[in-house]
Amino acid sequence: MKDTFHVGPSLAVKFVAGDQLLCAVGPFLHIYNVTKNRLIHKVRIFKRNKVHGIAVSEDKLAIYGGKSVSLVSWEQLTGANDVSNLEHLSPEWIVSTEFDVTGQNVFLLTCYNMVLVVDFASGDVLQRNSLPNERSILYSGSIKVLDRDHVLVNAGTVMGGIIVWDLHTGTQLWNLLGHEGSIFYVTVSDNGKYVASCSDDRSIRLWDTFTGKELSLAWGHTARIWNLKFFDNDTKLISVSEDCTCRIWSVEHTAEGIELIAADTFEVHLTKNVWGVDVNEEKMIAATSGNDGRIKLIDLKQTTRMADEMEQFDIKAIEIHCNVRFAAGEIIKGFHCFEFGIVALTSGGHVLRYTFADKSWVLLFTDQRFLSYSITNGVTVASHNVVIFSNNNCDLLLVKFTDRGKIVDQGKALKVTGLAKTTNVMCTTGDKAEVIYVTVESPNPRDNFVILAIDSSTLEVIDRFNYGKPDSFVSSCVTVLDHYILVGSRFSTVAIFDLFNCAKNGVYRIDDLNIGDTTTSIEHVETKQCRHLFSVTNRDGYYSFLAIKFDNGISHEVIHSNKTVKGFLERAFYNDEGDYVTYGFKSRLFYMYNESKCYEIMHHMCGGAHRQWGLYPVGVKEYILVYIKASQLHVLRIHKPRVPEFLTAGLHGREIRDLSICPRARATNENEYLFVTGSEDTSIKLNTVDKLTGEVTTFWTERRHISGLQRTRFISDDLLISCSALEELFLWRVDDTFARGPYIHMLQSLPVATLNPDLRIMDFDVKFTASGSFILATVYSDSSIKMWHYDNESNNFNVCVETRYKTCCILNTRLIQFRDHLFLLITATDGHAVIYRVEQDNDDALPNGLAPVVSQRIHQSGVKAVDVKVTESTLTLYTGGDDNGVCVSVFQSVPAPAAGGFPGFELSRSEFAHSIASATVTSCQLFDKGSKLLTTSIDQIVRVWDASDDELPLKLIESQYTTIADTGCCDVVQGDSIVLIGGVGLSTWNM
Amino acid sequence: MGKSSKDKRDLYYRKAKELGYRARSAFKLLQLNEEFHFLDDLERVVDLCAAPGSWSQVLSRKMFDEAEGDVQGKKIVAVDLQPMSPIDNVTTFQADITHPKTLSRILELFGNEKADFVCSDGAPDVTGLHDLDEYVQQQLIMSALQLTTCVLKPHGNFVAKIFRGRDIDMLYSQLGYLFKSVVCAKPRSSRGTSLEAFIVCLDYQPPANWSPKLDNNVSVEEFFHDCFVGINKLSLGDDSQLPEWHESVRTVAPFISCGGLDSFDSDATYHLDEGDMAKIEKSLDPVQSPTNPPYKRALELKRSGKLSSCV
Repeated sequence: MKDTFHVGPSLAVKFVAGDQLLCAVGPFLHIYNVTKNRLIHKVRIFKRNKVHGIAVSEDKLAIYGGKSVSLVSWEQLTGANDVSNLEHLSPEWIVSTEFDVTGQNVFLLTCYNMVLVVDFASGDVLQRNSLPNERSILYSGSIKVLDRDHVLVNAGTVMGGIIVWDLHTGTQLWNLLGHEGSIFYVTVSDNGKYVASCSDDRSIRLWDTFTGKELSLAWGHTARIWNLKFFDNDTKLISVSEDCTCRIWSVEHTAEGIELIAADTFEVHLTKNVWGVDVNEEKMIAATSGNDGRIKLIDLKQTTRMADEMEQFDIKAIEIHCNVRFAAGEIIKGFHCFEFGIVALTSGGHVLRYTFADKSWVLLFTDQRFLSYSITNGVTVASHNVVIFSNNNCDLLLVKFTDRGKIVDQGKALKVTGLAKTTNVMCTTGDKAEVIYVTVESPNPRDNFVILAIDSSTLEVIDRFNYGKPDSFVSSCVTVLDHYILVGSRFSTVAIFDLFNCAKNGVYRIDDLNIGDTTTSIEHVETKQCRHLFSVTNRDGYYSFLAIKFDNGISHEVIHSNKTVKGFLERAFYNDEGDYVTYGFKSRLFYMYNESKCYEIMHHMCGGAHRQWGLYPVGVKEYILVYIKASQLHVLRIHKPRVPEFLTAGLHGREIRDLSICPRARATNENEYLFVTGSEDTSIKLNTVDKLTGEVTTFWTERRHISGLQRTRFISDDLLISCSALEELFLWRVDDTFARGPYIHMLQSLPVATLNPDLRIMDFDVKFTASGSFILATVYSDSSIKMWHYDNESNNFNVCVETRYKTCCILNTRLIQFRDHLFLLITATDGHAVIYRVEQDNDDALPNGLAPVVSQRIHQSGVKAVDVKVTESTLTLYTGGDDNGVCVSVFQSVPAPAAGGFPGFELSRSEFAHSIASATVTSCQLFDKGSKLLTTSIDQIVRVWDASDDELPLKLIESQYTTIADTGCCDVVQGDSIVLIGGVGLSTWNM
Repeated sequence: MGKSSKDKRDLYYRKAKELGYRARSAFKLLQLNEEFHFLDDLERVVDLCAAPGSWSQVLSRKMFDEAEGDVQGKKIVAVDLQPMSPIDNVTTFQADITHPKTLSRILELFGNEKADFVCSDGAPDVTGLHDLDEYVQQQLIMSALQLTTCVLKPHGNFVAKIFRGRDIDMLYSQLGYLFKSVVCAKPRSSRGTSLEAFIVCLDYQPPANWSPKLDNNVSVEEFFHDCFVGINKLSLGDDSQLPEWHESVRTVAPFISCGGLDSFDSDATYHLDEGDMAKIEKSLDPVQSPTNPPYKRALELKRSGKLSSCV
């Protein structure tokens, strides 16, 4: 067995010269070139322990974690893939390390407030310094080398005090009191003036090193703070927290004295915990690392990140600039932004242009038709920049601009006849650059819904299409593909208008895509085998992917559905990296979010959703956000990131509770397998693993569950089920046919028993009946057992059996086909395995009861994991328990006692291997056609047992330490010897 | 312990309230005792990390209320850094278990006699870093153990809460040096989903040539240095070098599940009828008021909207 890939908590990051970042990844260090976004080197530092911190002095490194420490040169580190032969042990847990001024000696601060002075070259312990009577355990501490004679040791106690002592004199300088609870981090500024600290009380305090006085008390983080660092010549402090944010504080001299002022907040990691932080002060880049395994970079130069080109104009300034008089109360009613600048229309009918090149406003013309109610749309197609103004009186005015913003002619005015009023006009362009499609909507339901095809060079109407207006239809967004115009509407509706068919049946309508209201965008993503894939967003935060077929009449299928983290969703698109990016508003912010990798790209305080606004792509990966706030027009340029946004994306921020690999290789790449992970963080992730490299890539994070996941399992090549507390059980379908990646859609949820469900669904199993339908068994925390029939035609679950084991919690279940009969196995917290016969009127009928066949105690307490091998005449149960043991129980089939009776089982042999692990056995899985058994346990040892014959006891073939803590689940790619191990993180193993 | 709707359905929570225990953990000690009977015939006991005091309550009831013979001279000491409300027949010390003064106060109360039984249900703040949390818990046990070695009479018993994690087998092997029998026990009242278990150490037999002495200039590791010298090669004492990494000695303690199968299952969801629920709502107020967490002020600020996700 060999581990090939690992993602899990990263506890430390450290910048070194030459744009390189050292990242602690379990017992490994990964070295990245930050500017090139490239992983340069991976090296194992420790055998078992995780790397907790790194100190650097020129080409020397002191790396520590737990009791382990390694003193290595840069050359040793980069010259090998494994330097764990250099691992040494300290007598106690190491809290911090630092080099002295010469770089020759290393200080190790232990959790009992002792400093070992170690010679770097020889490893000799030169001194042991401690402070008398201050040897209580520390969670945190640091060493600050000010000069040769002044070295401060800062010990964060568990009782709220910070003891600052002088290493050389062994005397206490201060016991800084003010915090409550354990001190989780303490650091000293480079100039030695300040101590900064944080504790369980969630505050950050700044202290004067020379007087011991508390200078400032800062609040902001909503959970515990784990790390602090001064930067920018000690004028700023960066903090990271359990609340997943990283915050910047400025150390300011105010009238009150010296204060810590909140300056910036970044949401950087997934629930929960950000552990490591460092700053490259030369480049002003921060790096953070978290429990999710992500290495995130933050551009600290606000000016390059965004907002350096924040411009704002009030109507007065524009008036002066254009040298015109606006009417009293005249406001900007609409605008559109092109590469050259902005075209705006006022409530007085003034058409204005702002050009970015010379930063000037010009009044282009005034049109009295667009006085009060007006809508401004714009489109850029080929080199035509076209603005379309419309009013509620069926007037359209089309104006064309050159790339430099010069108006091409006086514009094309037209009247849309046959409509009482026009309340909404939208435009779009398709592949055919010469045509602009304009939709015109009247509020009168008896009026037609009109689509105009307009020649983009002459602005002449080429064609007009009239459709009977669909019921309850309020158009909100539009796109075109070939001769189909897709229009989104309120009530979560999409209507497809076939330009070749204006009859009533020419409109195809998709209703209730999700429980949200207004459809905010429809985008064509790709087309494969005549299936056209569209991304559809809904303002209430939902998004879906629709696979639409246009041949033989229009048909559609929802292949993906999800909800964003929070806020209003206005649009989404795939970026150059193939990541799905969403944007919209949350409370008073505008946000852009990378949905594939789950991180916020930017946010901007714009006041909230209710305003005129637009986001316009310009150049390469840049955007301009234009909005109106307090009657001012704001223009914000959102730059292409100066630094990579992350070096590695990470996975779940909390424990992975279950994982399951799709039984078949990917349709689009035979070296890859799809798999799902279900986590304590309540999300399910759809990922792929590369069987050659072991590398894992995440595509989607599904947020349907509201409680931590219990089980997730593929039940067929494209169906999977997940379950959790609150009686949540969802059936999902995976679609892996498109090039962009796989998609996942929830087909159905299991009906719940009560209005206020509080049972945990502990496990489930299925048995397929004919035609894609299946029998589902679910087991619950209140000892109940239910069987259901899922009918794939009607997409419905119907309960057929409800019974109860005892009163204890059931942990596992399996449906077992034995010869002609179906049996149900359960295991529970009382250490028992029980086999029931599933009663059916005939073989094809639905279950109508469960009859216990055999009940056997096989473990002392909870049976945590089970796998089953079925032979001609026996059932063999392989179980792992809370009692640290693995049990093999062979049940022999017993013939039916009489004609018309049923066969049963009795225990023929069983072998309990006790103490095979030093902690709970959490999963067991047969593989290699049932000849081997893989077990995981909390002691972080993965074991492979010979299960080839039924000879007992099991023989251990191999065992190996895994770096994944809280090891809880595993799955094997049958036949391809890839193993995934999940817990706090995930690792890929090659057998 | 507060009360949430989840607690209300927890049968051990309800039973604790009905029987006047300050926490459901009382049942853990009772179920351990059902298996090991270490609470029979006790004269002097020490309850470490005792707050809020449910184990002391159990000890008080067993040694005094349910005692048949003479209770004169029986002593229970409960020690915790946190304050604790009084319990009948229990002397409470708000003190640090690692401090020599605490030891002298206990011995003074015991009239310089040693204890028959020491227990600890303590757990530190959990950070979420598994290795650190496990280490700190083991250090807490070792802190309790160092006081125990100074206060426990030979053949006495020691029980402490553990978390069964990666390095628990290292702790087992260390404890094996001090006690004849070391068992990992899990009462049914401890949730199966939790790593919590209890180490039951029976028959204290300290190494003959080792005399423990509490000294607050000595770390826990240093305290046991001479005791574990046979198993721990981390002999820094006179060595001038950090030792190379080596695998620690590990022993797996036998596992025993305690509390009969007829006792309540702490992982199960029990159904209560409306009458039960009404009764809980009405009468079962927390016996012990919730403690003031260090982040109380932060919670107040958060509730008043002063802490936010953006500047």
